[in-house]
Amino acid sequence: MIKGAFVRQWKKMLMIAFTVALGTSLASAMLSVMMDIGDKVNQELKTYGANITVVPKETSIVSDLYDVQGEGGTSAYLKEEDLGKVMTIFWAFNIVDYAPIVNVPAQTADGDDVTVVGSWFNHHLDLPTGQSLDAGIMSLRSWWTITEGNWIDEQADGYSENDAMLGTAIAKKLGASVGDTVHIKGTKHDADYKVVGIFDAGGEEDDRIFVALDTAQKLDDMDGQVASIEVSALTTPDNELAEKAAKDPSALTVDQYETWYCTAYASSIAYQLQEVIKDSVAAPVRQVADSEGNILEKTQLLMVLITVLSMIGAALGIMNLVTASVMERSKEIGLLKALGAQNGAITGLVLSEILFTAIVGGAAGFLGGFGFAQIIGRSVFGSSITIRPMVIPIVAVLVIAMTLLGSLPAIRMLMRLEPAEVLHGRQ
Amino acid sequence: MISASLLRRRSRMLIALLSVAIGAMILSGLVTIYYDVPRQMGAQFRRYGSNMIVLPKEEEFSAEDAEKAEEVIPSDEVVGAAPYRYENVRINQTTVLAAGTDMDGARASSPYWNVDGDWPAQTGQLLVGKEVAGKYGLKVGDPVTVTYTPEEVYGAGSDTEAESEEEMILDSEKDFTVTGILDTGGSEESYIYMSLEDLSELTETDGGLDILELSITANQDQLKDYADKINQTVDHVNARLVKRVAQSEGTVLTKLQALVLLVTVVVLALTMICVATTMTATVTERKMEIGLRKALGASDRSIIQEFLGEGILLGAVGGLIGAILGFFFAQGVSMGVFNNSIVFRPLLLPIAILVSMAVTGIASMVPIRATTRIDPALVLKGE
Amino acid sequence: MSLLELKDVSKIYGSLHALDHVNMKVEKGEWVAIMGPSGSGKSTMMNIIGCMDTPTEGQVLLDGKDISKVSKKEQTVIRRDKIGLIFQQFYLVNYLTALENVMTAQYYHSVPDEKEAMEALDRVGLADRAKHLPSQLSGGEQQRVCVARALINYPEIVLADEPTGNLDEANETIVMDLFRKLHEQGTTLIVVTHDPEVAETAQRTLTLRDGRFTKETVNEHFTGVIHYND
Repeated sequence: MIKGAFVRQWKKMLMIAFTVALGTSLASAMLSVMMDIGDKVNQELKTYGANITVVPKETSIVSDLYDVQGEGGTSAYLKEEDLGKVMTIFWAFNIVDYAPIVNVPAQTADGDDVTVVGSWFNHHLDLPTGQSLDAGIMSLRSWWTITEGNWIDEQADGYSENDAMLGTAIAKKLGASVGDTVHIKGTKHDADYKVVGIFDAGGEEDDRIFVALDTAQKLDDMDGQVASIEVSALTTPDNELAEKAAKDPSALTVDQYETWYCTAYASSIAYQLQEVIKDSVAAPVRQVADSEGNILEKTQLLMVLITVLSMIGAALGIMNLVTASVMERSKEIGLLKALGAQNGAITGLVLSEILFTAIVGGAAGFLGGFGFAQIIGRSVFGSSITIRPMVIPIVAVLVIAMTLLGSLPAIRMLMRLEPAEVLHGRQ
Repeated sequence: MISASLLRRRSRMLIALLSVAIGAMILSGLVTIYYDVPRQMGAQFRRYGSNMIVLPKEEEFSAEDAEKAEEVIPSDEVVGAAPYRYENVRINQTTVLAAGTDMDGARASSPYWNVDGDWPAQTGQLLVGKEVAGKYGLKVGDPVTVTYTPEEVYGAGSDTEAESEEEMILDSEKDFTVTGILDTGGSEESYIYMSLEDLSELTETDGGLDILELSITANQDQLKDYADKINQTVDHVNARLVKRVAQSEGTVLTKLQALVLLVTVVVLALTMICVATTMTATVTERKMEIGLRKALGASDRSIIQEFLGEGILLGAVGGLIGAILGFFFAQGVSMGVFNNSIVFRPLLLPIAILVSMAVTGIASMVPIRATTRIDPALVLKGE
Repeated sequence: MSLLELKDVSKIYGSLHALDHVNMKVEKGEWVAIMGPSGSGKSTMMNIIGCMDTPTEGQVLLDGKDISKVSKKEQTVIRRDKIGLIFQQFYLVNYLTALENVMTAQYYHSVPDEKEAMEALDRVGLADRAKHLPSQLSGGEQQRVCVARALINYPEIVLADEPTGNLDEANETIVMDLFRKLHEQGTTLIVVTHDPEVAETAQRTLTLRDGRFTKETVNEHFTGVIHYND
């Protein structure tokens, strides 16, 4: 008979299951997105370019600020052979891209000063770990618009050493377009470059000519020398510890040092780069590093609060409907009581039925929730959301708690119910 | 009749009301946040610094030109405006680049400048880039003398002896105190910064400006419009976007807004389904009553009027409560995340109420319709 | 012309004949009982007479008008204007007072009239319980409210389905007395029941079995007043 009562109520049970499923899918979707959003946004912020630079220890690099000419002359260099070591640091996995830079003062055929920049564009690296990386400024300069032609691509079929990219300003000055040959006079050697692309950087780089690293080095007999390395890494926003460490790592206690070293702060990645690149000083580019930290924090906080709102809504919704559903079963429970069932037995029966339904609904809800999370991840970021296993226990606890809470007032009322009342139509 | 129903069936009504209120709260809260995100987040992106620069068409431009350019942009959108004038100066006989600027403007337009010490606030105070400080061994509080030699002296060779004596007198110098060391991880670290007035004093000329940096809260398209307008209306200058900052911001901000939109849609859809389910259940449990009323001779229209009327009223009241709560929530989020108040959008209130009413209305209609179609006899039997 | 006439009425569900070629005539002012065990088709009979269902075959004439083929809307109108229903389960709206429950029937008929509703309650002896909710009334009282409700629109026929089925003896007596009074006042009563004692209180009893009338008994000792023995 009890089973009969249960089966007859299946429509109502379905309702509970459905609501629990809705609430669960909402909570698990939001939690999943919330936990992954940091990584996703961090990846997006790489569009701003390098957030760490490595420069030689003794340096008085005076580079141009918005077309203002400064005094030339560099005193020390980094070794090109150290470039591979970048991917050997503890946080190598977080390094998304990097490129060496060398600035060579030169002159055009007409005698005008021009800076020739040597770098990597799409340089293939095979790492000792078995992974490989395509590094270079092609992804470090996302804001460049190629107005004519293409990027220099070391891995492309037609690639030649003398391929050059010209900024729109210098291209205009030289009257050069794609396919032309440009004659450049370096301090030690001259060279003829073939223009493969013209770019609009919207900044000081529009006056420069970009070529492959070795090509630029040749102008000045600078083989094996690199003026700086730009690095783009996924970092964790700074906190007090990070700031303290950035000032002076040796001031940290052993525990603090380990925590700092093992967290992907911009300062600790920079520190690790300094360790492997000889005679170097690495520091976060504050314009990028500080700002992205701020954006990351705000975005995560925003998502947390939205998730909290959703979860409150889900919780209340579940609680609400469970209360309603249990109250509806008053007749049935009155009958059971009339037949001699004890309060405890009834509570047990009702609770276990509800919990069973909640579990079924919850399981369906998880699947739905993860599905929604993926839809969000793919539509916005073009990549899947990494599902964290932690979501399951958190949501499960929430759902079960809410279901129990929702059952409480209703069950309490039912306990006080007299069978006679219910059976004879009074309510 | 409706009021009796609503008031005496308190607990059942409260449950339904709560459900509707939650739905409306999420609707008004999330939608407010969605519309506010571009503005609030956009302001955060100003941390990346200037997104527009004004350069001279020829050699330099005047302070008036700079003012005119700034005026093109609505003042509430200008986060910071920093004019810069660069001159070669000397410290201890070696050349260093000095930049004269408006310290407040520089601070506002380049929030990522990390100053160890204090920003210059008075005349005679100097902000020294980290690299320069390292080169000269300067610490906060150190005195430093900056020398300036007018350019004409460099250019033309001295003609007579008498002039060479005057040459020496032409060198001007000024004493400064280093108040702060600048750490940016960028090229700013090779400069020293002083106020424009100090630079004028040092060089004994009111030189022109080399660049005006602007940090503006506006999207890429608006920025382009401003730049065009400046180029059309202000002489001697060429305004242009700092692509790296403006474009990247556009990319990321668009994604963030898409994120909030999608989240809002998902949450809203799920919540509204929940509300609809609750409303449907509320009506379904009164099936017997509907059957009874029909047996007593109620027309379908009467039933619909009564029960639908209740549902919609519930939607209206719950919608109102929820919408107001939602605003509070959005404000809480805005203050907590951005430390800034939301822009209150009064239109959302009636919209949230209307949506609630629509949802409850439709959700009630389904069971009402279904029940009125069945014979009252069957309903009373308990089908 | 009879007030109510069933001509060759059948109600067929697939292969089941719930009512099978039934013929019946009820005159104005008559008190008729339809008796049968459960499964005999008396619920179906009740629904058809009460204009809540239409027969598959045959005609139902109410006041000369054929109501067997009318639309649902018209059924509703007829129910409202001409038939007063009393159910075994004494269906009352649980959040309305006794008075308001009576007024519900008025509400759909014409206009709710509190005075008239009070009078109706008074006639069933519940004037002092007017403001009570159903949960505060005993079973018998609830049923009496139903009677008041059934009468409020001065229906042509009062149709009662097991009116005393859920009542104890004392309440049963009260309700049956009420019916007697109604009959004296000239109301046409049709009572559907399985209880022979209840059936005997009517003027005549029609026995229903397997969808057919098998017997018609005229209750000779019908005096208009019956006392039950303890």
